Amino acid sequence: MPILSLIIFAPLLGALGIGFLPSSRPSLIRFVALGVSLVTFALSLGMLLGIRGQSGEFAFSEQLSWIPSFGITYHLGVDGLSGALVVLTTLLSWICILASFGPIQTRVKEYFISFLILETGMLGVFLSLDLFLFYIFWEIVLVPMYLIIGIWGGADRIYATIKFVLYTLVGSLLMLVAILATAFSHQAVTGSWTGAFDLLALRGTITDPTLQILGFAAFALAFAIKVPMFPFHTWLPDAHVQAPTAGSVILAGVLLKLGGYGFIRFAIPLFPDGAHLFAPLMIALSVIAIIYGALVAIVQTDLKKLIAYSSVSHMGFVTLGIFTFNQQGVDGAILQMLNHGLITSGLFLLVGIGYERTHDREIAKMGGWAVRTPVYAALFGFFLFASVGLPGLSGFAGEFLVLLGAFIANPMVAGASTFVMILAAVYLLYMYQRVFTGPLSPFLKGLGAKLTDVTPTEILTLAPLAALIVVFGVMPTLLTSSFAKSVETFLMSAISVVGQ
Amino acid sequence: MNNELLTLAPLITVMVGAIAVLISDMVTPNRNHAPVAVALAALGATAALLINQGGSSASALGGSYVAGPFVAFIGLLGISIVAITLLIAPAYLAARRYPTAELAATLLFALAGAILLGAATDLVTLFVGLELMVIPGYILAGYAKRDPLSTEGAVKYFLLGSFSSAILLFGIVVLWGVAGTSSLSGIASALTSGEANAGLAVALALITTGSAFKIAAVPFHYWTPDAYQGSPTPITGYLSVGPKVGAFVLLIKLFVIALAPLAALWIPVMVALAAATMTLGNLVALTQSNVKRMLAYSSIAHTGYLMVGIVAAGAGEAAGIAGVLFYAAAYAFMNLGAFAFLTALQGRPGATTQLSDLAGLGRKHPRMAILAAIFLLSLTGIPPTAGFFAKTYVILAAVQAGGPATILAVIAVLNAAIAAFYYLRVIVYLFMRDPAEPAVQVAEGPMLRAGLLIAAIGTVALGLAPTPIIEAVIQALAK
Repeated sequence: MPILSLIIFAPLLGALGIGFLPSSRPSLIRFVALGVSLVTFALSLGMLLGIRGQSGEFAFSEQLSWIPSFGITYHLGVDGLSGALVVLTTLLSWICILASFGPIQTRVKEYFISFLILETGMLGVFLSLDLFLFYIFWEIVLVPMYLIIGIWGGADRIYATIKFVLYTLVGSLLMLVAILATAFSHQAVTGSWTGAFDLLALRGTITDPTLQILGFAAFALAFAIKVPMFPFHTWLPDAHVQAPTAGSVILAGVLLKLGGYGFIRFAIPLFPDGAHLFAPLMIALSVIAIIYGALVAIVQTDLKKLIAYSSVSHMGFVTLGIFTFNQQGVDGAILQMLNHGLITSGLFLLVGIGYERTHDREIAKMGGWAVRTPVYAALFGFFLFASVGLPGLSGFAGEFLVLLGAFIANPMVAGASTFVMILAAVYLLYMYQRVFTGPLSPFLKGLGAKLTDVTPTEILTLAPLAALIVVFGVMPTLLTSSFAKSVETFLMSAISVVGQ
Repeated sequence: MNNELLTLAPLITVMVGAIAVLISDMVTPNRNHAPVAVALAALGATAALLINQGGSSASALGGSYVAGPFVAFIGLLGISIVAITLLIAPAYLAARRYPTAELAATLLFALAGAILLGAATDLVTLFVGLELMVIPGYILAGYAKRDPLSTEGAVKYFLLGSFSSAILLFGIVVLWGVAGTSSLSGIASALTSGEANAGLAVALALITTGSAFKIAAVPFHYWTPDAYQGSPTPITGYLSVGPKVGAFVLLIKLFVIALAPLAALWIPVMVALAAATMTLGNLVALTQSNVKRMLAYSSIAHTGYLMVGIVAAGAGEAAGIAGVLFYAAAYAFMNLGAFAFLTALQGRPGATTQLSDLAGLGRKHPRMAILAAIFLLSLTGIPPTAGFFAKTYVILAAVQAGGPATILAVIAVLNAAIAAFYYLRVIVYLFMRDPAEPAVQVAEGPMLRAGLLIAAIGTVALGLAPTPIIEAVIQALAK
């Protein structure tokens, strides 16, 4: 059974089905969308169980000829790394759809269609092993996200969404040129187009030094914009602030991971020499992102923007870990991706829950929130401490391993980045203190009875994330063992190929 | 003799069809459906004949007309373009009291020119084909004869078109004199042996200038926006696609086949023209608030992308021509689709095509807006649409060719990002703004709907399953 195709296209089929439902029945549409995303989640869990039994590098491989004139195939496969990210995607998708039930009241049908197409695109990126197919899914992700921010976003949504699309497009179009150049170099060497776009056939065969450098640069630009690395991060705060809650969650939870995943799966294994050449630059940019993101987060006055900048800082750990090229660093980077996906998604959900009640995100207007809504404040505190990196919660292990890896590679870098773990505590705890503790602010008091505590549905969206944060905090080896083989292969493929 | 007539059968069928359209209009005047039906029947018959000839290589007219897969491809593409135009135009023209029969006949004559152009193997036939294709365009540009804008556009188009034809013809004559033959392949082999000389330089300069006018490459593009804006919208759609595809056939025959030995001389010029064309076309399109004019400038940008394929082909990559042909097919469907959408919006005479007119259309007419979004995404080059694969194809060819072509490929993709801004801006108006007051009246006749649907199917199918067209293209180029 082609389970990977099923997982990718189940949401798309759902979107098509919703297309035939009448717009006048929004709650039917909501529940169909939720049902489709839950089915996809279940399928992805089944896939995860299946991976363990497989011996090869990729499980459930599917390969069909698609455009034979250029050797382009429909090639899917899953390993521990992509498997974990697929489950993160399907989990956050149903959570987001559930979390959109209340906030999205206009053009409900179009919203859920966009969301399910977005899910198909993201899953396709994680499961593609053909560069051309990968690129197509990569671009497909753009369109629904563009609509989600542009139609259901805040006041400046159009500026934010166009900025998001143009930034991403510039990077990805250059990546397309690099993909085509790589495919052509394969064709020129082997004399046939067979395998010219296939990741597994291309890995370790690109020995042209110029292509190594330029190819890596083009791929890295596309992924660096997506992660986003400093100085390509400026689209992120705008997009986050303007996007609806579910849009922010999926943006932080999955879309940023597409960049990190791209580095590990495509850019470095294809162009290891280019990667080593650029590694010092990438490490420097990562450290700048870690420090800069944290410093800018301290002075933010908008809750969403603060978390957006904290994402820049946290994602800096991901790229730092990847470019240490040692096991600890890469393990940590992947852990950090997954944990950031859980924790930051939770924080954005919580900010969204607060916004539903106050219609404001201005930190200065808040204060003493805990007095009125203790459960909300407690949940916020939980996710906040996870984000700070409190040992025992999942945020800690990833950052710790990255720092360990960085220390092996370069102690100076590790020192500078460790300092930021204190800064993270500063901006998050300072924010928490201003928003939740002390006497109730006049603004919140003015809301009166509207300032209710979290509802059961909202708890349902947060509980799976909180549970996983605890589980993976106590037992990070559950995760690291699941993708150990992927990391091993990655480290092997990151060895120089030029001049052998 | 008999065989010769059979070889020419598609050309003759189109011509007879055009005359039959005029006769049918005389028999039943002011009945718009009859001429369209006759024209579509003629198109169907021609298509059948062309497909039937797809495998042959029979020649006629003393070897200057060769049937075969290349002609079949160009002819079928031309037939699709004319058919879609004929489906979307009648309602628009009828609402403004312009006749349909003349349009159908003129389009068929232009199609005859395109077929002749595709089949031509010598300079004279090539030029006759070009003129037969272009002159109907002048007539069409002035179709709205009571509208001063249309007349102005037509006069500009006619004057510049005639000048450029004269320049091109002069270049062709000089080339003939230098090479001593008018056969395209004969010129190529005559030039391989000889050194470049002054006569050849003059010929090359004149031919390049004349062709650049025909494809509307920057800086020879000034006639386009006026001619496009003044014409009735469905005709603009045709003008932005049909004559352009034909002109690129001319480019393939003249540059890639006849002047191939001089590629080192003309490639740098073509690279500069292509870079200027796409960049300027896109930058000016950015500043337009009228969608029709924006699409006119964006069609200039698409000329630039098509030239990338010509450059790659000149550098010896067969994939370059294949890319140009694929791009032409994709462009025909997506651009005609976009114009069909604009046509539908102008159901009422006097309706404008300002961006603000499109506001909120996604809510009032969701199906129409989704079709428009598909065409715009394809024009932007977002997968999985025809436009994406077309761009990929020419860029792949350019990367393969290496050297200046690769730099051109990078310029092309950066331009695609600029283009994304103005195409997506239309989507912003369609879906992200509140409806305009008073609301736009959307015309939705069955023919218009069929035209839109064919364009949409072509746009999506060429993106999802490009293999049949790729194979047709590769077969069209097989000697």
